[in-house]
Amino acid sequence: MALIKVLDPTARRADDNASAGPDAGSLVGKRVGFRLDQIWRSWDWISEVWAAKFREAGAEVVFWRSAGRSGDEGERMNAEYQDFLKTIDVSVVGLANCGSCTGWTIRDAIASANAGVPTTAIATKNFEDFAHELAARGGRSGLRVHVLPYPLNELKRDEVEAIGEAYFEGALAAMGASLTAQEKAA
Amino acid sequence: MTIHTIKPSSRRNPVPKPLVSRDCGPSGCEIDWLTSKRVETEDSIEAFTQASLELGWGDGLPLIPPTDARVRAFLSENDRYPDELIAHMPDQSECTVEKIVINAVMAGAAPESLELIIAAIQSITEPDFELYGVNATTASVYPAFVVNGPIRDALNIPYSYGCTGGVATQAVAIGRAIRLIMRNVAGQVAGVTTQTTFGSPGRLAGLLIGEWEEKSPWAPLAERRAGIAGNAITSFGTMGTMNILDTTSQGAMAFLEMIGKSVAYPGANCFSPSMEYSEMMIGLNPICAEIIAAELPRIEDVQEAVWKFSSVPADWLEKHHLGQLEAQGRVRSDGRIYCTPEPKDMILFVCGGLGGLHALGLHSFGSALSQTKPVAAAI
Repeated sequence: MALIKVLDPTARRADDNASAGPDAGSLVGKRVGFRLDQIWRSWDWISEVWAAKFREAGAEVVFWRSAGRSGDEGERMNAEYQDFLKTIDVSVVGLANCGSCTGWTIRDAIASANAGVPTTAIATKNFEDFAHELAARGGRSGLRVHVLPYPLNELKRDEVEAIGEAYFEGALAAMGASLTAQEKAA
Repeated sequence: MTIHTIKPSSRRNPVPKPLVSRDCGPSGCEIDWLTSKRVETEDSIEAFTQASLELGWGDGLPLIPPTDARVRAFLSENDRYPDELIAHMPDQSECTVEKIVINAVMAGAAPESLELIIAAIQSITEPDFELYGVNATTASVYPAFVVNGPIRDALNIPYSYGCTGGVATQAVAIGRAIRLIMRNVAGQVAGVTTQTTFGSPGRLAGLLIGEWEEKSPWAPLAERRAGIAGNAITSFGTMGTMNILDTTSQGAMAFLEMIGKSVAYPGANCFSPSMEYSEMMIGLNPICAEIIAAELPRIEDVQEAVWKFSSVPADWLEKHHLGQLEAQGRVRSDGRIYCTPEPKDMILFVCGGLGGLHALGLHSFGSALSQTKPVAAAI
């Protein structure tokens, strides 16, 4: 059969930053910012578990909650988030636990990483590959992603908090963070 | 907490000016305007369709090979430069006229549809449409489009019998072209860049319908929303079509009660605590619209009436669900939760066959906001 040439119908951004970005390093005396959302109470609970441990180590912890991303609310959210990033030293961004919320989590994590803030996105197991795919398509294929078990939000609070405890060391490793004054490599 | 009302943002999808000189026109010089990579394949629809599946370009249906000749022929019937950037997609990939035309050729869309497709892409890439979420979600959402103006008849966009599916028209190919652009340029590929749990038949050929303006008692949708008289397109991220059957009602308020109560159920997007606000779109058949307008001549009064019925009692909801909605301040003083923040957010238009009896519900996705754009005049 004769051969023809056809034009590629796809488009994809060409640039990529494969770097994971800087380690969070020692959290002592640093300001750690959690990005929360309106959907996942399990992420609220886990962030509270981790926040308590960060505070015990001498870090200050602050929270920012993502709400509507369209209309005037979305405009305000974007401005608020950019301001939030200027006030923190380390960023923990979650929760990638559904399709669109993985999208927004990774988008906000990339914004944080691109602002030079040591950043780790938090995803549940089912959305791990998706998180990496979106990070690559967003131009940050090396984005740090820490993975929690799935399903998560369907569990009771004590079960979720136990997971928070169990996955805390992993979170520190992914962040390249330590709870002492001594730096620890990721 | 108070009800969060919907107001459009001032953000726009920024598109830089093209850098290439236009002095010699799109077909008047020797420049190879087409920059897409060429891929070799066997010269048959069957072989190209199979190759497209392997390359991740296809949707499973037969595709027309986008050869240079076909793409150039399509372009030659329009007045657009192929390198013209129409929009940035969510991952910052560039949606150029060239990419639009390649996908339109593959779908079998006619060259005359280019300006409509461009307006559709412009509308869904506005930040308030939240294409980023629409693409990625586990939901079944896809963009639906309502077309106004003479272009409906010029392109055979259906607005009567079977307008949301089943009628054989050019609209199917145009809708499919938009879907292929969503797949190949915007990056909405099931299991790769979208986590849609069930998907939807609407993700194949989209939903491209006209408003039956001539049968509508009210001004055309685009005119009411954006002051655009003539050719225009309104995009709306929808979870799918919902049928509302009514064989018993008499009078405007009875019809609106049936419609309003039918679209209000706990699992509808409008009642999700995932976001504080959303829209709802409803298609009224021409018979029903005429009966309603006899009692309620102003569309704003119709919106308010249907809005009042589209609510659920707060104590009807499961406790965790209710708790999150309460935290958002969405339970009103009457103990009910309403589908949208305000009556204006119930978007109404007229379409459908003259058999009446049914209304069309289009539930929204997340807090994605509908967008209306004019369609540029083709040459």
